[in-house]
Amino acid sequence: MAYLTDKFWRTFKPFLILKNLFRKPMTLQFPYESLPPVEGYRGRHVLDLDKCTGCFICCMICPNKAIGLVDFRGRKYPQVDLGKCCFCQLCEEYCSVKAIKLSKEAMMVTMDKESAILGPEALSKTPTQ
Amino acid sequence: MEEREIAFLTIPFGPQHPASGHFHALLKVDGETVLGLEPHPGYLHRGFEKLMEYRVHPQNCVLVDRADVLDPFSCELGYANAIEKIAGLEIPQRGRYIRTIMAELGRILSHITWIGVLSMVLGFDSANKIAWGDREKILRLNEIATGGRLYPCYLCIGGVRRDISQEFVDETSKALDYLEGQLSFYDYFVFKNETFVMRMEKVGRMSAEEAIDLGATGPNLRACGIDYDVRKDEPYEAYPEVEFNVITREEGDAYARSLCRRDEIAESISIVRQLLKNLPDGSYRVELGPECITLEGESYFCLESARGEKCFHVVSDGSPCPYRVKIRAPSFLHTLTEFPYLAKGSTIADIPAIYWSLDSCPADMDR
Repeated sequence: MAYLTDKFWRTFKPFLILKNLFRKPMTLQFPYESLPPVEGYRGRHVLDLDKCTGCFICCMICPNKAIGLVDFRGRKYPQVDLGKCCFCQLCEEYCSVKAIKLSKEAMMVTMDKESAILGPEALSKTPTQ
Repeated sequence: MEEREIAFLTIPFGPQHPASGHFHALLKVDGETVLGLEPHPGYLHRGFEKLMEYRVHPQNCVLVDRADVLDPFSCELGYANAIEKIAGLEIPQRGRYIRTIMAELGRILSHITWIGVLSMVLGFDSANKIAWGDREKILRLNEIATGGRLYPCYLCIGGVRRDISQEFVDETSKALDYLEGQLSFYDYFVFKNETFVMRMEKVGRMSAEEAIDLGATGPNLRACGIDYDVRKDEPYEAYPEVEFNVITREEGDAYARSLCRRDEIAESISIVRQLLKNLPDGSYRVELGPECITLEGESYFCLESARGEKCFHVVSDGSPCPYRVKIRAPSFLHTLTEFPYLAKGSTIADIPAIYWSLDSCPADMDR
């Protein structure tokens, strides 16, 4: 009996795969649809120009030296090289006035290296997500 | 005699072989039989141990992720614990529980990835795709808890950087239920598949004495019948407070190593469930004082990563950066000592199966 049951399962179990026809696909058709980032996702930086004091701490703590200070409106503000950034969120954690934050914006692809460097003005724009 | 020497052929395995990863080995073959294997690691050497000497401890906690791409939590846990040992910090209970949950999720992540890669190497692409789809469940949990998918940058000196939310607890329970169901599917689809068994059984067999001599750790050692697990023998974090079995097998071949890892996934699922059930309230991180910036001392910390025993030896001389960091990576020994030993006498077709049954990660190997 056990032999017959085994034979039965061996013969018919492969057909169980047909149930996948009625399931939702595991993949998404990117770029038409994409997985929404979760709350607290570490994406592009957002800089609050009013809060930032130009204290240099984000530049000091960045492990990849992706943040540098530049002149903007007569003051020093950070600029971020997204090509170097590893999105570790240490800049946000160490900022004493909470001026720099990581947003949920995940689409940061550019065609050249220069446009991956975001100055204070670009950083202060509201993220798309 | 001269004719015989001409019959030997040296063929490369990797670094462009689909089964090799960033690893190169030269096989000396006589027909189909492998007479010797000469490993050439270093294709993924990024010099992390040196880089860490130029960075302060919080920066190193996020940098060390990259030392083992498939199981990043173990690296973070090892470095953070080594520094906490020097500083003499006591981590809050909730922090320890969260760390252990993440370490176990990292182990499941690594083992599921390994199922996928091993299946691909054996020419079983369907299982590869399914395993990588299941891996996505754990990556999503990483994203919810830490904000990052592959590189969590989550553990820090003194605890964890964020608290886990109720959403994470619910999603983890769902994902674990799903993965537990998938394990029986993998049993049917992969581990009891006749082709898989024929390719893995009695291949790359080593005895317990040989495994100890070759420096095997983790599932590779336990598959030879030795009951050694750092989580049980030198418990750290919240492991003393959970009940789990150390998975061992007697055969010592590639199939036994595979089944050991499969059973470890089930054991890790049970550990995470226990920890989530008893998750204590309270603080998850201790505030570091100024004395933690300049540490002086030396520490050595071992933990059980997905691949085996991973150790961190940190020397700090009172400056903000460590003076020296040495990582004992399990993949290094698995590939440089065990792989050539097991490859000798096997056939060329068995080489990828032996290599991936040892579960080497080139990133972990070269650091």
